[in-house]
Amino acid sequence: MNNTPFRLNLTFLITITLFTACVPTQITQPTSKTTSESEVQTITVQIKEPENIETEKPSANNRFTIVADDELKTSVAMLFESYFPGEAAAFVEKGGDLVVTKTYECPDDRPCIWATYLPDSVMIQQSENADIEEFITFAISPEGQEQLINAGDLPQQINLDDQAGSTLVIPQPINRVISTYGPATSYIYSVHAQDRLVSASYLGARDPKGSAVMGKMDPRFPEIMGDKFFTQNDFNVEQAAVLNPDLIVTSARTSWLDTAEQLGLDVFLFDAETPERLRDAMQLVGKLFGPHSRAIADAWISYYDGIASAIQEQIAEIPEDQRVRVLFTGTAPLKVASGDMYQTDIIRAAGGISVSSELKGYWNDVNIEQVALWDPDVIIVPPYGGASVEAITESSEWQILEAVQERQVYQMPKLVVPWDTPAPDSILGIVWIAQLINPESINIDCATEAEYFYNTFYNYPITEEELATICQFD
Amino acid sequence: MRKWIKIVISLIFLLTLFAVSLTLGRYKIGVIDVLKVLLSPIFPKLATGIPDIARQLILKVRLPRILGALLIGAGFGGTGSALQAIFKNPLVDSNILGVTSGAGFGAGLALLLMRNPWEVQLSAFIFGLLAVLFAFLGSRLYKSTPLLVLTLMGILIGSLFNSLTALLKYVADPLDTLPAITFWILGSLTGITWQNLLPLAVITLLGIVFLLLIRWRFNILSLDDQEAKTLGLDPTSMKLIIIIFTTLMTAAAVSVSGVIGWVGLVIPHAGRLIVGPDHKYLLPISLILGGAFLLIIDNIARTLLPGEIPLGVLSGLIGVPILIALMRRSKTGW
Repeated sequence: MNNTPFRLNLTFLITITLFTACVPTQITQPTSKTTSESEVQTITVQIKEPENIETEKPSANNRFTIVADDELKTSVAMLFESYFPGEAAAFVEKGGDLVVTKTYECPDDRPCIWATYLPDSVMIQQSENADIEEFITFAISPEGQEQLINAGDLPQQINLDDQAGSTLVIPQPINRVISTYGPATSYIYSVHAQDRLVSASYLGARDPKGSAVMGKMDPRFPEIMGDKFFTQNDFNVEQAAVLNPDLIVTSARTSWLDTAEQLGLDVFLFDAETPERLRDAMQLVGKLFGPHSRAIADAWISYYDGIASAIQEQIAEIPEDQRVRVLFTGTAPLKVASGDMYQTDIIRAAGGISVSSELKGYWNDVNIEQVALWDPDVIIVPPYGGASVEAITESSEWQILEAVQERQVYQMPKLVVPWDTPAPDSILGIVWIAQLINPESINIDCATEAEYFYNTFYNYPITEEELATICQFD
Repeated sequence: MRKWIKIVISLIFLLTLFAVSLTLGRYKIGVIDVLKVLLSPIFPKLATGIPDIARQLILKVRLPRILGALLIGAGFGGTGSALQAIFKNPLVDSNILGVTSGAGFGAGLALLLMRNPWEVQLSAFIFGLLAVLFAFLGSRLYKSTPLLVLTLMGILIGSLFNSLTALLKYVADPLDTLPAITFWILGSLTGITWQNLLPLAVITLLGIVFLLLIRWRFNILSLDDQEAKTLGLDPTSMKLIIIIFTTLMTAAAVSVSGVIGWVGLVIPHAGRLIVGPDHKYLLPISLILGGAFLLIIDNIARTLLPGEIPLGVLSGLIGVPILIALMRRSKTGW
């Protein structure tokens, strides 16, 4: 389908535009597969700059020089010519402005992210130059991905099992995604694929603080925030047709799956309520969005595992019966996290014991007497749902607990995504709890990790003030 | 005379139940320790050696909750039998004029806007009263059998407030305010403390005394209005006063406990099965049975599992078999 002449597509686009203007609702429903596929094509073809296709031989350029592994030279040359039409990549043996290689390492111990345009093949910028930056951005963009697919370097489609167990055949690249599930949106942001979102539900972005930061992280946030149209329980079919997505990602507990299926839309389901499944989910998101996202997902997984094992090492000497006993409460003080919930996992990972882990299901309503029986050392309230430390410390019945008398009640921080939800940010939740309950034995610092995390995975230069508010322990 | 004995026996049962309830809980406290703690305000020496947390649990948590269950249960039982009498309809319960629906909306609104438990209670109380006021004013628009129109208006206003509550749920944040509203509407006695017990106790006790004082008149009120007049009673104003008192009692109860349906409807029937339809006996027995029933239900709700069991689950599961057993044994007329 990628060889379709440009002119045909253009005509098609004009027809569609005219048609859409006249009969908006009818045409926007993709009644047949052809309609939706052609529309996607027009988007990619526009970037091809077709007037230069006939140029005979690319001339040398004076933009920048490239040092590349031999096996990668063809693909780099191809990308260069499609981004700078009529010019040829200037390869040198040593001291190039851009290094393209399969052998690379990170400057320090932490996982780092290089522009990964093919699996395990990265581009590393060596000198300040706007052209290099643009070229790298292009190489890892869906447009670059499209070129690499056409050249046969990347697969045209991938087969992937979602977390509900169905296998999907997904054409590459994915240009338009609807996410109706907050955690999935955070996975997509943290593998730097947020530009592909055409509509998204967010976690923690409804309150003024969260939405302000989200707006700084992504200027498109107010425009693609899709709660009006799509939630786990509502699916606006008309709007879905207007947005014409390549893929919809959502929770396995979504109620409108049949509706989407009847429209012929691909729906990829996530169900990640445990650390293991969260790692799987990140891996799947990486695979969905191409080599660069996949590299970031892998970096996140090794970061997550590294932090978790470092914490376990540092608390290894604390015997099981001397571990800090933590109660994690919910939107109301007497709602507590069950053992099936992710909160229990992160408390354990941080070296504590969740006192309510014997409970099953979702948030459980308990009474204060049960809490007294558990007698937790520390109480943590979540950063959402109007939950507050004061709701506990200022309540007379909670005063019977020693933890409350000693002011051991804390609110879990968040920047946008709450740190106790099964999202990439939860690694910081583990760090924060670990530092809170085991200050003596833990030498991992919340502020350092948060700065690295948001810089690396959300591409967001977090400010000093933000760091000060999220990494506090009183 | 036998009916009085039955009432006295029920009262003794209720007091025993009250004492036993104090010893029940997830946190195990022995009977003797409970007694010592209860007497400790008078003899401070007794409480030495008992862990502080146990003392606090009994005095600050169990005692107000148990008293709350008694008052709310008694309130529902009493208002249920009073309203069944004046509406001359055995299928009437405390929500006949829309109090509960109004209170549910009031609580939902406060949960959406403010969140402070005290404001939620106040807002529920006020909207409960407002619902009945609207129903009453609405019934004045139509000049006919006032009681039937009042019932109809009560149902209409109740539906109106239910729709408004549904609207609140629709706009509420699904992660945050929505569960809070749903939980409130399900009904629970978890939140009872001495602070919110006080207004409830004042209103409920006043209401109970009032209902007991005029209990003789319910027999007349349940007759035809014309007959009541010949017997020297002004049924219209009497009914109005009763409606005001029962509304205040129900609104006060619902604003603390959330929606606990059913008790007001069924307890009067259980009372009738025991002492018959004479309100002289029916009213006291309904108060006692209501209190005892809600206390038993709540004891199970708070002790059986680590998680609280919603009262709505237990009231039907336990209440229906008891009522059916009573119906088999009894031969009294309705």
